[in-house]
Amino acid sequence: MVDKVCRECRSIVLSGQSCAVCGSTNLSTDWGGYVVIIDPSRSQIAKKMQITLPGKYALKVR
Amino acid sequence: MDEPAKPENAAVYIVKTTVNQERSVAGLLAQVAKKDRFDIRAILVPDELKGYVLVEAAVPEEVDQAVQRVPHARVVIKGESSFAEVEHFLSPKPTVTGITEGSIIELITGPFKGEKARVKHVDEVHDEITMELFESVVPIPITVRGDNVRILKREETE
Ligand SMILES: [Zn+2]
Repeated sequence: MVDKVCRECRSIVLSGQSCAVCGSTNLSTDWGGYVVIIDPSRSQIAKKMQITLPGKYALKVR
Repeated sequence: MDEPAKPENAAVYIVKTTVNQERSVAGLLAQVAKKDRFDIRAILVPDELKGYVLVEAAVPEEVDQAVQRVPHARVVIKGESSFAEVEHFLSPKPTVTGITEGSIIELITGPFKGEKARVKHVDEVHDEITMELFESVVPIPITVRGDNVRILKREETE
């Protein structure tokens, strides 16, 4: 099964029909790139992507 | 006492992986980092880089040690990259790039799939284009994402 990604926050949704991070139900299976954020408060990557919670995210979502 | 390291103190280290194991390596590296408390802050896997992942960390030794505990992760390439060098992976090119006002396009998805239209406006910021359909009875402009269209004829070739 293809994982879904939230179109609002780019979080990878592993199960269910809504995003665990922001609650959105606007999900997509058309996504690319992959980022694991471990320590958002000290990560420049997280800062640039405006991610504040640890987790797995896509780089782009369509 | 040591001050907590700031984001500015991190660099990006390149880890070589088995091809097609990039995402699994990233996931496992994150698990190892959490469990064994390595100071790894983020792991980036751009689709363009086959056989590599980019690890944001404060010092290369911690990346080295974490990599040794993860299958399919091979070595840390010597030297570090600055955040600026990898930043472009975080802002993928808009899909409207290359589409100009006046171009003739075909919609490839959505309710107007197969319809042809002339581009009226290109919005790079929102990655959207506004167009007028040729076949439409009333010329209402419609706006779609750049990846919903295919260019048939560029403006400059007319
Ligand atoms: Zn979300």
